[in-house]
Amino acid sequence: MTKIWIKTLAAIILIGLLIAFPKVMGVLNTNIFIGFAIMALFAVSLNLMLGYTGLLSFGHAMFFGLGAYTTALSLKHIDNLPISMALLLGVLGAVVCAVIVSPLLVRLSGTAFSMLTLAFGQLMYIVCLKFREVTGGADGLGGFPVPDLKIPFTGGIDMTDPVNFYYFAITVLGGCILLIWRFTKTPIGSVMISIRDNDNRVDYLGFHVPSVKSLVFIVSGGFAGAAGAIYALFQNMVSTDGVLGLFTSFNPIIMTIIGGVSSFTGPIIGAGLLTILEEFLLRYTDRIALFNGLVLILMIKFAPGGIMGIWDGVYRKWFKRRTLS
Amino acid sequence: MKRCFFLLRGVLTLLVLGMLVTSAWASDALMDRMADFDPSNPVVPKGDTIKIGHLNPFSGPAAMNGELYHIALHWVAHDLNKQGGVMVDGKLKKIEIIKGDTMSKPINAKKAAERLILGDKVDLLWGSTGSHISLVCQQTAAKYKKIYVSALSISDSLMDAENFNRYTFHTPWTTSQAAKSLAYFYAKRPEKKFYILCQDYSFGHALAEKFKGYLKEFRPDAEIVGEDYHPLFTKDFAPYLEKIKASGAEVIFSGDWMPDSVNLLKQSRDSGLNLPFANMYMDDPITLGVVGVEGSAGLVNANQYMINDMDPRTRELNKVWNHLHDSKWEEPYNSSLYVWPLGVVASAINTTYWMMDVVERAGSTDPEKIIATWEGDKYNSFAGVLEMRACDHVTVRDTYVSEFSHPAKWFDNFSYIDKIVTVPSYVVEPPLPEGLDRCKK
Repeated sequence: MTKIWIKTLAAIILIGLLIAFPKVMGVLNTNIFIGFAIMALFAVSLNLMLGYTGLLSFGHAMFFGLGAYTTALSLKHIDNLPISMALLLGVLGAVVCAVIVSPLLVRLSGTAFSMLTLAFGQLMYIVCLKFREVTGGADGLGGFPVPDLKIPFTGGIDMTDPVNFYYFAITVLGGCILLIWRFTKTPIGSVMISIRDNDNRVDYLGFHVPSVKSLVFIVSGGFAGAAGAIYALFQNMVSTDGVLGLFTSFNPIIMTIIGGVSSFTGPIIGAGLLTILEEFLLRYTDRIALFNGLVLILMIKFAPGGIMGIWDGVYRKWFKRRTLS
Repeated sequence: MKRCFFLLRGVLTLLVLGMLVTSAWASDALMDRMADFDPSNPVVPKGDTIKIGHLNPFSGPAAMNGELYHIALHWVAHDLNKQGGVMVDGKLKKIEIIKGDTMSKPINAKKAAERLILGDKVDLLWGSTGSHISLVCQQTAAKYKKIYVSALSISDSLMDAENFNRYTFHTPWTTSQAAKSLAYFYAKRPEKKFYILCQDYSFGHALAEKFKGYLKEFRPDAEIVGEDYHPLFTKDFAPYLEKIKASGAEVIFSGDWMPDSVNLLKQSRDSGLNLPFANMYMDDPITLGVVGVEGSAGLVNANQYMINDMDPRTRELNKVWNHLHDSKWEEPYNSSLYVWPLGVVASAINTTYWMMDVVERAGSTDPEKIIATWEGDKYNSFAGVLEMRACDHVTVRDTYVSEFSHPAKWFDNFSYIDKIVTVPSYVVEPPLPEGLDRCKK
């Protein structure tokens, strides 16, 4: 009972902090926070495959990018499209892509899976780069209209206002992260973990492993698409390098490894740490990737479980011992 | 009669002497102001300053561009700060330059622009190389109602009906002016087979389209024997060069800028392809030094400014700059790239003086006051008269073309600017953007 109260209180405090954030921290930090939240969802969606199912994807940016491009293109070409529809179309674009490529990927694992996802990611990158009449090529697509959020009986809310957009983005991104968390708690979530640990045994138990992998792939791609769609609306700009580049695929992997692969909150913490690190370092240097690489090396060498691994160790050592004593 | 003649001669002599003394004094004045200018460690004033956000790549493959324009902005800031600053809101304020690294990527450009506007609270934004990057900068500036001086990118599309915004002022020449200048130059030349090789993004495609159109107008018998677009920051041009060799082209038309322009020229000469390039950015001394006298001979460069000593102000600038380069500047500004204030750098200096002159006349950094002052403004610069066209904020100006030859005045170890052909502004005036209501009378 006490535990539930603590959790409820923590949730109320968290929501209160999120509501007060723009007022207290200003527009610049609010924008930085939105950027962090987008990357957090992207990393959490990747971790469904990496942490929960044991599938390392080097091409996760294709879903993020497709979500972003679909949203941008639909807003550019469809008049009076509601923002929620643009968002859903972004998710749909990513899901359709995942449905198409999943049969080619789900029977693979290990290096073959990683290399093929890398190939698909790069293929998508080149297609968007060369198909410049539609995608804008290296210039990207920018300046598309970002419509007001229509809520019945309340009129429209201006989504070009950074504070309004913050509340919209945080609601969507937070909702998506909660949905992913619920998904991991379903029986499918348990099967995913079993596949990661021993897919042969799962197969002997009668589960069709490729189907489960396919489902995870599609769900993960869909949520990455949602992150991409919010990204497009937030930046009012999508470009091949920004949403489909190699580093767009690597970033959530780095975040997940730094935060902790084996934990649901690890990727969120990793995204937060890298965002703070970037903002701090930008005051002194533009060599951000160098420091990110250094942190990654140190983490892999000295704390392979990531920050959550360190936390688990500390928790076990101090809190559990105290409880026992 | 004889007395009158002597009197006239005396007056004329006095006048000439007066001009010489004034010029020497002015030169010394600039020398005095800039004597302690060190671009590697510029003096950055703090406190109640006019903050200018400098958006350019300072890391990645195009980092050299950031370094190149860094000196231009700091030159103007140092000069004006030494004169006490710029009078705004009733007091003299010094100029503070703050860097924003675009990393040559649209999304990083947006983040950098937002950080400058919201975090550093800059008064004006200035940048950026790469039209696709500049577009993001101007959209971000408009979102937060800040003046953006589009000082480097030249695509016409930046200020067309779709992309125009009141807060952006386009001070360099445009794609159509560049393409028309080169087409105008080739109207009276024997070469008629052109191969187009440009960068694969909006600027490269737009430039090629404009050049083809103007070539048809000025030189109807000219032929485009091939056309290619390479990704930005290509390292290996061999496949393109092989196609050019096989095409029978007499001239390669390229709008490539650094580092592509550097690699393209070097690799073409290394591969034995010695065709002239009709270009805008192949005038940097490092590359030209590598390809030498023969490799650089015959290059046809069009520019918005070409180094010369015809105007007393350019003489002064050249003298002071060159003296500081030889005696004072350190890495990276002691390289041959910075021996003289050349093309794009001098042009950036020129238009930055214009920008600060507008701010002073506006008496404020308030965007609305700057807009009111700058629209329709005419400025007598050292690169000729510049006019900010009121309806689309595009600068109308003369342009210049030169075929590199040797010996040249400015450098010994390669061919360089010799005779300068001026293309008058009425010939190269950028077309008014179609569909922009402000330009419909």
